[in-house]
Amino acid sequence: MRLHPLTALTAACCAAVMTTAAGSWPLSVAVALAAVLLAARTGVAARVLLAAGVILAPLFLSLLVLHGLFFPEGHTVLAQWGPARVTAEGLGFALELASRTAACVLLLLLFSFTVSVPDLLTALAARRIPPQFSFVLAATLTLVPAMAERLEKIRQAQEARGLVVGRGLLSRLAAARLQAVPLVLGLVEDAGLRAQALDARGFGTTGPRTSYRQLQDPPAQRIFRATALLLAAAAVVLRLSTAWPAAVPT
Amino acid sequence: MSPQSLTLPDAGSRTGAGTAPGRRRLLEIAGATAIAATYVFLVLTQPVEIANGPASFSALVALGGFLLGAVLLLVAVLPVLPTSTLVLMPVAIVLNVVLGQLMGSTGLPFYLDAIGTVLIAVLAGPAAGAATGVLGSIVWSFFNPTVLPFAAGAALIGFLAGLAARGGLFRRFYLAPVAGFLTGILAGVVSAPIAAFVYGGTAGLGTGAIVSAFRAMGDTLLAAITKQALISDPMDKAIVFTIAALLAYALPRRTTFQFAFVRRFRVLAGKLPADPAA
Repeated sequence: MRLHPLTALTAACCAAVMTTAAGSWPLSVAVALAAVLLAARTGVAARVLLAAGVILAPLFLSLLVLHGLFFPEGHTVLAQWGPARVTAEGLGFALELASRTAACVLLLLLFSFTVSVPDLLTALAARRIPPQFSFVLAATLTLVPAMAERLEKIRQAQEARGLVVGRGLLSRLAAARLQAVPLVLGLVEDAGLRAQALDARGFGTTGPRTSYRQLQDPPAQRIFRATALLLAAAAVVLRLSTAWPAAVPT
Repeated sequence: MSPQSLTLPDAGSRTGAGTAPGRRRLLEIAGATAIAATYVFLVLTQPVEIANGPASFSALVALGGFLLGAVLLLVAVLPVLPTSTLVLMPVAIVLNVVLGQLMGSTGLPFYLDAIGTVLIAVLAGPAAGAATGVLGSIVWSFFNPTVLPFAAGAALIGFLAGLAARGGLFRRFYLAPVAGFLTGILAGVVSAPIAAFVYGGTAGLGTGAIVSAFRAMGDTLLAAITKQALISDPMDKAIVFTIAALLAYALPRRTTFQFAFVRRFRVLAGKLPADPAA
């Protein structure tokens, strides 16, 4: 059975919110592992892990250097070189934040790499989300590959006209300008044409709209969504109410 | 019965047709208030927080407040944008990414990931700029979810760029980087709590080293990240505004003067074409 896109979105967001609210690294690691397992089940593990690695690796390194070496609030000093002090509190803080971010990133990437964008847009339109939002979302996601292709063509055309990228900064800036201006000009021109075509088809008018796509939304999934939202809200309220007296200075 | 106009209503009159303008203004104010209140709350509570262990309280407040504000602004602005602006938004969002990469290949140590947002703000005004910032963050989070919490900062950049364009700062070439510098200060300060409380640091190693230096001097995490943002962001935004201005002037005037915002506020230097519709 296919998941309704909103069910997948709710599940990913609520799990991310609950992991953030819980703020305990064993849970975060477990959620991250569960996300990877689910990705493996659906066959997108390689893409999810690659994308997550590119995002998370610099963040992890930065956190490790930052909190591992410099954590003025730490007391348990493990090692010390000049101004840099490795403290247990600092390492714990880095582990806490790194595992939490990893869990949230993996969950949301799992959603975005498994969801079918047309289904998601249909579901959003049925929920009275402004059609403008769906348009921008869909147009951008389809424009990314088209634009990369166009940039490649522009580069080839400019090279045929004698563009040589030199070593100096000025030469590279000039090369960037020679490619950027035709790209922006072409895209803005296209957008103008598209606006006229869309307006001629009633895009700007208000009123009810129909869709030729139909989505199955079984009652079980509706109940699941409501439960997940309630649980996430409860987790947030619990965390806010327990942390409130300590977090607000009096 | 009064004679009905046979032409399509123009963008200005169509905007009032959907929801009441008063409610929309209220949503805008609520969105801006949510962002400002979240920032003030986080700055006031942060000294107690970090010593108390996990920062999940502040993370939840930061995420909730900033995202709520960004979404309220989007709901207020999106339905009133004319189609000519809407079709430009995907272009701007993709430009953010592609031009960011292209400029990255020049080897300059900046992110330059807001060129499209600033360009659309110059051509179509502050509301379009803010909406592009938020939507760009949402769309880009499909590939990199860590940019989603920075939606409010991106909205601020688009909004301030639009205000600068309305105020004529893009008419004089040397004023554009100044406007970018000031925008960078504000945007950096607003985005710092997200970096501090949600991620506990910055994603780059270079920026991480600057934060480490301030931490070594005994600053709190938020203070260290704010100071780092004050070092890198204004420079970055000054360059972004300059590139956006270069692009806006490189486009033919037939294209730029199609935008009502450009014509009405004389955003760009140079004489108005006699008949912009021709």
